[in-house]
Amino acid sequence: MAKIASPPLGPVEPAPEDLDDYMSMTIAEPPKSAEKETYTQRRIRKQRQADARSRPKSKAELAAAAHAARDDALSTALPSTSKGFQMMAKLGFKPGAALGASSNPNARTEPLNIAVKEDRGGVGMQSEKKRKFREEVEGVEKKQKAEEGGYRERVGREREEKRIEGLFWGAMRLLEGLELPEGGDEVPANKVNLLWRGLVRERQEKERERRARYDLARSLSRSAAYEDPEEDEYDRQALGKEVEEVEDEDEELDEFLGLEGEERLRTLVEYLRQEHRYCFWCKFRYEDEKMEGCPGWKEDDHD
Amino acid sequence: MDRSSDSQDHGRIKRQKTEDTDSRYFEEDDDDGGVKLGNFGQAVEVKLKKEDLAKSDRYTEGLDTSVAKISKKKRKREEETDQAPNPYLAHQYEETPKKKELDPRANPYLAHRYEEPAEDEGSYNGYSNGYGRPAKRMNGVSNASSMARFPRHKSTAAMARNAEDGPNNPFSGQLLSSQYFSILKTRRNLPVHQQRDEFLQMYQKSQFLVFVGETGSGKTTQIPQFVLFDDQPHIQRKLVACTQPRRVAAMSVAQRVANEMDVTLGDEVGYNIRFEDVTSQKTILKYMTDGMLLREAMNDNNLNRYSTIILDEAHERTLATDTLMGLLKEVAQRRPDLKIVIMSATLDAQKFQSYFNDAPLLAVPGRTHPVEIFYTPEPERDYVEASLRTVLQIHASEPEGDILLFLTGEEEIEDACRKIRLEADEMIREADAGPLTVYPLYGTLPPSQQQKIFDPAPPPSRNGGRPGRKCIVSTNIAETSLTIDGIVYVVDPGFSKQKIYNPRIRIESLLVSPISKASAQQRAGRAGRTRPGKCFRLYTEAAFKKELIETTYPEVLRSNLSSTVLDLKKLGIDDLVHFDLMDPPAPETMMRALEELNYLACLDDEGNLTALGKLASEFPLDPTLAVMLISSPEFYCSNEVLSLTALLSVPQVFVRPASARKRADEMKALFAHPDGDHLTMLNVYHAFKGPEAQASPKRWCHDHFISLRALQSADNVRQQLKRIMETHEIELVSVPFEDKNYYTNIRRALVAGFFMQVAMKEGNSKTYVTVKDNQNVILHPSTALQTESDWLLYNEFVLTTKNYIRTVTTVKPEWLMDIAPTYYDITTFGKGPVKSALQRTIDKVRRKEATKGGRR
Repeated sequence: MAKIASPPLGPVEPAPEDLDDYMSMTIAEPPKSAEKETYTQRRIRKQRQADARSRPKSKAELAAAAHAARDDALSTALPSTSKGFQMMAKLGFKPGAALGASSNPNARTEPLNIAVKEDRGGVGMQSEKKRKFREEVEGVEKKQKAEEGGYRERVGREREEKRIEGLFWGAMRLLEGLELPEGGDEVPANKVNLLWRGLVRERQEKERERRARYDLARSLSRSAAYEDPEEDEYDRQALGKEVEEVEDEDEELDEFLGLEGEERLRTLVEYLRQEHRYCFWCKFRYEDEKMEGCPGWKEDDHD
Repeated sequence: MDRSSDSQDHGRIKRQKTEDTDSRYFEEDDDDGGVKLGNFGQAVEVKLKKEDLAKSDRYTEGLDTSVAKISKKKRKREEETDQAPNPYLAHQYEETPKKKELDPRANPYLAHRYEEPAEDEGSYNGYSNGYGRPAKRMNGVSNASSMARFPRHKSTAAMARNAEDGPNNPFSGQLLSSQYFSILKTRRNLPVHQQRDEFLQMYQKSQFLVFVGETGSGKTTQIPQFVLFDDQPHIQRKLVACTQPRRVAAMSVAQRVANEMDVTLGDEVGYNIRFEDVTSQKTILKYMTDGMLLREAMNDNNLNRYSTIILDEAHERTLATDTLMGLLKEVAQRRPDLKIVIMSATLDAQKFQSYFNDAPLLAVPGRTHPVEIFYTPEPERDYVEASLRTVLQIHASEPEGDILLFLTGEEEIEDACRKIRLEADEMIREADAGPLTVYPLYGTLPPSQQQKIFDPAPPPSRNGGRPGRKCIVSTNIAETSLTIDGIVYVVDPGFSKQKIYNPRIRIESLLVSPISKASAQQRAGRAGRTRPGKCFRLYTEAAFKKELIETTYPEVLRSNLSSTVLDLKKLGIDDLVHFDLMDPPAPETMMRALEELNYLACLDDEGNLTALGKLASEFPLDPTLAVMLISSPEFYCSNEVLSLTALLSVPQVFVRPASARKRADEMKALFAHPDGDHLTMLNVYHAFKGPEAQASPKRWCHDHFISLRALQSADNVRQQLKRIMETHEIELVSVPFEDKNYYTNIRRALVAGFFMQVAMKEGNSKTYVTVKDNQNVILHPSTALQTESDWLLYNEFVLTTKNYIRTVTTVKPEWLMDIAPTYYDITTFGKGPVKSALQRTIDKVRRKEATKGGRR
């Protein structure tokens, strides 16, 4: 049976035609199991096939089908059953031979191929693209290979980093509890101890975000495009159209937060010990300077 | 090399193939197969003169260096001696003492051969090609000419030179004019003259000679004259033929040579192109298209009229040239007296040598200025955009000199011109650049506009301002067919539109493809014609080396060979399989050709010409069209089919300028026939022939967006075809226009020729599938078709990113099976929608007949 590139098209045919189509359809499908299909199964399958056939194809599908049919035909030599072949044979042509004088090295056996240019890429662009694509694929493969071995290591490292980050934030909150002035007076963020200032800024940011969202929710009733000719800068600020100026950059804090997690945690732990005689690992505030009873300043010491 | 651009003549009217791109459908056709007549005639003529006069213009790259060296020395010597202060004394300078010695007159042993020139001014030398010469000659009027009793095939350059110096015309016997002598002087400055002796020796020794020299070396005009003096066809009662791939070249070169020889065109020197024979009984040198020589060979298989055949521009490798070369190889064996000179550009000389049994080679170097070649560091993303950028950059920063940019097709060229003009205007305003005039150049451009490219570059816009320049944006017409002086910069994106044929899906289409290295060199050479130039290649050097093929594939590999096979049959070549072509095509191409001719009943199953085949080969048409035309009387519409055949043989009749697409479409709708494009074209033709249009054809065509030129050439073709029909007693019939079958008859007649180009609708979709090849195709947007039809006959299968069928007409499956029963034999079809549709048709017809029978 002839190989077909796409499911047969055409109007839904009367029964015998249908049978033909279905015969050719099955080729593309996985081999049938030995079990006999039930009536229902058969009905559903036929229904599906009919649906697939009646569905109008998209332009892209049509183009792809046309392309496939063309490429298929272009790569298939004319069969020896063709009339032309038989006529040539009568003139003494042997299959596989070339035309012309037998000694001619220029004789072709295959027709010239057709290449349709589909873009305006310059000469050499196509092969350049292919080369880049190949390189990229190779690059990705290499990377994947390199990573496969280090996967466990990487996951472990990531988990550790996360844990240390958590400990760091915990330590900050602890320090805040120790250092926050009694009475809860607001202290400007930049006056707060650098070691837990991060916590303050985080809170401020969250608050700002919450307020912005609230403003937005309230202002939704007003068209975003509405421009009040009389509103001034303050109105706009009030209406949340203009974001409040963010406080001065805190370079000191940025620098501190930019450090490695372990480094930050170590600084905090040491500070707690020195200033507050508090061991982060024992979770205990010692009375004396020597902090007797604490096995050491490292986490490992507290196992 | 794709030299199909301009009006080539294959001796056949080619069916019109048009280029295409998605929705744009007013397109040029580079391969118009020679229907256009001499639009370039004048231009080329003028140019040729300049070319010949020009001291140098050749591109020496790729030349055999040893040859180049030798002739450089020679040239130097010649140049020294040639410095004649007085042009009227030029010929005297030519005679250096050394050369005098060679003059056989000076040789006492040969003295008896040379009579003193007769004073009798009007006398003939008495020799011409001898077809019924005037009685005068027979009376033996004194052999006035200095070349009388030249030893045939033993003459020397000096003898010939002597004869050329007059005072009487060695061929006509007339006293030579002063104009003759002034031309003679410049002729002798041409590179080929330096090697006249060498040429003669080789020519005398060998049956085949390969002569290499590029345009401007003077080979096309001079070599045939060299041959005349030695071969003396007038004594042999034969002719010397020089073939040209292009009609225009044949005409203009013949005119030039007639001037050089001081004779009237059509007397001693003439030309013969399709539909135009300017020769006479006196003619001894005939310029002709290679297609014409092939036609002659069909009736005279040994080419007995000719003593020497010169194939010029053989490197262009047109279908006709290749066929001729194969034929001449065979004829040469049968006729040892026939001499054959193959003239080619440098690049594939060795291939020619080995093909012609290791023929000797003579090369004349060209004299060109060096051309500096630049490559891009990276491949370009968009070659059009890159070429515009390059042109503007040249204009901004390079010294004076004109620019030639090569692009692929009309639409692309017009678009580029528009953009360059816009940008250049801005450059003038903002950067004080010089003025820049931009000219498009392509085959379908009206002649008046083609002429404009020869206008000089614009002057500076103000005194002391920067110099202006012109920029020509051209198809590969400007690569070889036509020479424009003043070009200093060439921009070469590396693409051209080339014809391609594939027998597996039977498609013949014009596709944008990368050019060959040979083409790239040729393009670069265009920059060095007047002074040292620059060529900007918009690709990397690596791409030049790796991606470009060496030489463009010859036409024989890129064409449907059904006409060629018919020609070969007519030429008496029966063993088509072993016919010695220089580049034999794939066997499948030949299979398809044989098959097509067999289905058309031009060949029988044994491959012999049938009566129909013989008749079809009388027409300068594709076999499909010829068969359609011959069978049209059976359908009572040969008048209409004749018009239609003519219309299908000329460029697109509908004009659709970018600026007025909507209006053009509206006008086209006026002519639209619901059954399709063929009938629509016929409507146009009939309207054009009507009194209203004939009152003022130019105006009418302009108003209706119709190409007057296309219709005029259709008229011309129609006349020629009609004559052939009359000779072969093919009736010209019509039914009255009111007859209800008027159009049906025509549609049925179309089927008689085009039954192998039919597509069937696929289900409910808009797509069609081609019968037998099963290719999915859609209707070209330009179609005038308004009826829903399951079956369409098409003129063309156009390949782009989509597969289109173009110029379509509705047909009925009953007709197909009735008119082409062998092709539509249902048992030969594989399972599929086409087969089932045909089966249904058979059943329907059977039922109808059964009911009819029952009624009886």
